[in-house]
Amino acid sequence: MSAPPAVSSLVEEFERAAVATAATVERVPRSAAALNDALLRATAGCERIVFAEPEALPEDLLALFRADPRIISNPSDDQLSLAQAGVTEAFAAVARTGSICVRLRGMTAADSLLAPLHVALLRAETIVERPRELFDAGAAGLAQDFVFITGPSATADMGPLVRGVHGPHRLHVIILE
Amino acid sequence: MSAAVTPRAVANKSDRRTLVKAIRLALGLESAAVRHNTQTFNRNRYRAIAALPDYDALKDEARGIKERAIADLPALLEQLRASITARGGHFFVARDAAQARDYIRDALLRHHVRLVVKGKSMTSEEVRLNRELERAGIEVAETDLAEFILQVADEQPSHVIAPAIHYSRERITALFKRKFDTDLPLDTGEDLTRFARERLREKFLAADAGITGANLIAAADGSLMLVESEGNIRMTCLCPPLHIAIAGVEKVVPSRAEFGAFVELLAASGTGQPLSSYTSFLRPPIDAPPFAFGGKSQHPREFHLVLVDNGRFSMRDDPVLREALYCIRCSACLNSCANFQTVGGHAFGGETYSGGIGGAWEAGTGRLENARFNELCTGCSRCVPQCPVRIDIPWLNDNLRARLNRRERALLSDVISGLAPPPDQHARLPKLFFANYHAFAAMGTRLAPLSNWLGRLPLSRLLLEKTVGLDRRRELPPFPSRPLTSAAASAARGSEPGRTNSARARVALFADIYTNYGGRRKWLAVMRVLQAAAIDVVVTPCLPEGRAALSQGMIATARAHAAKTAALLKHYLAQGRDIIVVEPSALAMFRRDYRHLLDDAEMVARLRERCFEPLEYLWKLLTDSHTEARELFQAERFASGPRLFYHPHCQQKTIGAAPATEALLRAAGFDVASSSVECCGMAGSFGYKKDYYDLSMAVGEDLFQQVACAEQDGPRTLVASGISCLDQLRAGTRRPVLHPAEVLAAVCSL
Repeated sequence: MSAPPAVSSLVEEFERAAVATAATVERVPRSAAALNDALLRATAGCERIVFAEPEALPEDLLALFRADPRIISNPSDDQLSLAQAGVTEAFAAVARTGSICVRLRGMTAADSLLAPLHVALLRAETIVERPRELFDAGAAGLAQDFVFITGPSATADMGPLVRGVHGPHRLHVIILE
Repeated sequence: MSAAVTPRAVANKSDRRTLVKAIRLALGLESAAVRHNTQTFNRNRYRAIAALPDYDALKDEARGIKERAIADLPALLEQLRASITARGGHFFVARDAAQARDYIRDALLRHHVRLVVKGKSMTSEEVRLNRELERAGIEVAETDLAEFILQVADEQPSHVIAPAIHYSRERITALFKRKFDTDLPLDTGEDLTRFARERLREKFLAADAGITGANLIAAADGSLMLVESEGNIRMTCLCPPLHIAIAGVEKVVPSRAEFGAFVELLAASGTGQPLSSYTSFLRPPIDAPPFAFGGKSQHPREFHLVLVDNGRFSMRDDPVLREALYCIRCSACLNSCANFQTVGGHAFGGETYSGGIGGAWEAGTGRLENARFNELCTGCSRCVPQCPVRIDIPWLNDNLRARLNRRERALLSDVISGLAPPPDQHARLPKLFFANYHAFAAMGTRLAPLSNWLGRLPLSRLLLEKTVGLDRRRELPPFPSRPLTSAAASAARGSEPGRTNSARARVALFADIYTNYGGRRKWLAVMRVLQAAAIDVVVTPCLPEGRAALSQGMIATARAHAAKTAALLKHYLAQGRDIIVVEPSALAMFRRDYRHLLDDAEMVARLRERCFEPLEYLWKLLTDSHTEARELFQAERFASGPRLFYHPHCQQKTIGAAPATEALLRAAGFDVASSSVECCGMAGSFGYKKDYYDLSMAVGEDLFQQVACAEQDGPRTLVASGISCLDQLRAGTRRPVLHPAEVLAAVCSL
């Protein structure tokens, strides 16, 4: 195997591939203020947001956003189904395919699926080159339930390609550099 | 078209007349949508696999994993049982469809389930699950939009990953307007999707149980891999507390570590996306709360895995059908098949499974007769390089056909004289005719020109159509007045003796039956260009190499032909001569199919390495000796100008013998536009058959349109390498078509 590609080239490759799947991508410096600004932009126009606490991101990074009054904490199932945006962590991503990896555990499973907009928070250094690396010995894909998300939900069953079916219509990835 | 024929009515094709009816139905109603959608998948697949740098290694890896997993299946199932039960799940292997239905129905009834949401599952289609659940008073909501359409229309799937691929947007609009009482606009894909989503969102939130399939299952920890693009499978796993997954036993692999290769191959080979929108990996019951809308009763999560045998263990013991168990249901073989592209799975398919691989599945999980739709596999072999687990699908179908032939019993056995009949010379007369075409052609040549005159008489054609199914509308190539083997031999003798000594290479030109009895000019041209390149040529006697017999499922005859031909060619190989084969379908026998037919593995390898298409050989020779093609051939000498339209033969493409022809023609200065269709539709004898004439011509439409397209800026000379492609192109354009060697012979400077 050749040397692993640098983080910056993986970020660029990921961004190109993700945009090709009709996701939107934004790169943000790793600070609470910058992340909050990015989340405000991404969720502009949304009045009801559900937010699944990240497992790997430092808590203080989300200190500002956590106080956003639009966030419904401990949503009931009905509130969950009416949310306009879901914000979750992505614990890894794949550069070649533009996919993000999201845990199917706790509220992350629902928050990444039910609302029309899914905003995912991704640490740049967790991007790998290809999907199968998630299943390499010791890799993060072996021992937990997760999903590769590649663009918004889509169908070609109704004739032309339509984005936004049972899952989110829009996917926005915020890369924390 | 008769209004009474519905897809359901023609699903079971154990009676061959049903197949003809189904083709008519599909050509009339479904062809346009199927063609557009499968060809889009096919184009995207070529693009997606080109982006996988280690595609071949991935295929080898996936194939290896599947071979080992099927070999270890009993142990893997026990390991999986332990994994599932250790997590509190329930594990059941259903011996047959009825057991699977009963188990799932009872599990749902135990939980007083009234509404179940379903993700797409071909296995649930195979066991006819919905009907059983509905009979038990349980509402079933199909949530995959394609399955939703099929449920509304009451039709069987026509494609393994896009079950409603035969529906155009317009037909969906008409269907929904007819079936739902709604004022909503339904005139765009967005309208229809919104309409279905809103109805189904209610179902998800109200459902008591969810049923999904599984693309792969890991024995070590019970992980399911679920591939989808709409999000309905994720909803089905997430919302209701009870989750039942149903899958064939063949989906089990050792662990998640084996998933990697399949993740990368599956979507690329199927829809041609790098990955589908969602590829989930989970070990249900998942660690997320279920939903409790509208006072729905709240249960803790519960999970059942129902694995279905239903004939799969017998397939595992069958050296031919075992191959089908490696199938990962990606649909590449469907999308790359010219016949499938034209009619889809309602004609080229059975009650559940369709396309080239579908025959093996229908036979393996049902009755052999259900595989009769595999008549539509012409053996063109375009699916072979596309299969991510390297299944030789035409060979599967040859074998199924051989088994079907045996069932059909003899009508006539020794109509054709001079044959020592192998055990399969008792098939139906049309099969015997096409399989033994060499004997017919030899007789025709002996009797030419009388036979050609007879052959043009309407009465003769009527007789041929009625007896052997040879369509009257097809023009038959005239038989030459003397066997070409003698004409070619005298041409070979006529070559300058001095050249033999300084020969660049020594070859034996194999006298294949198609060229020998139908390609006089073509063959003389091949002789001429080979000799122009200072190649020493001898001509072999004419022998049937087995293609015709193989294509009719007469494997014993094909084996006998192969053995004789191999013995003949061995003699020339021993003299240090490479073998030149003009007809690509005969060449493909030597390069691809003989591994199934000859016992001598060393001979198989030698033939694979030393048999060549003439222009392929020439191009290799010129390239190896750093000779400019223009020293021998100059396009500007071509009377009708340097613009060509070239259609390579399907099997020629599969064995990699097509690019050289284009390269050589270009190097000689020709402006070459090439077809990109997978197959011309004639596919050997297929398009000559009465039952398939319309389909064959419909397949050809793509090719004819590509000609028109390539000629928008001026006419081109039509060129094709295969004898039946030449006939098809001639039939579709009403113009002369040349073999590439004829083009080169005409511009040869020596």
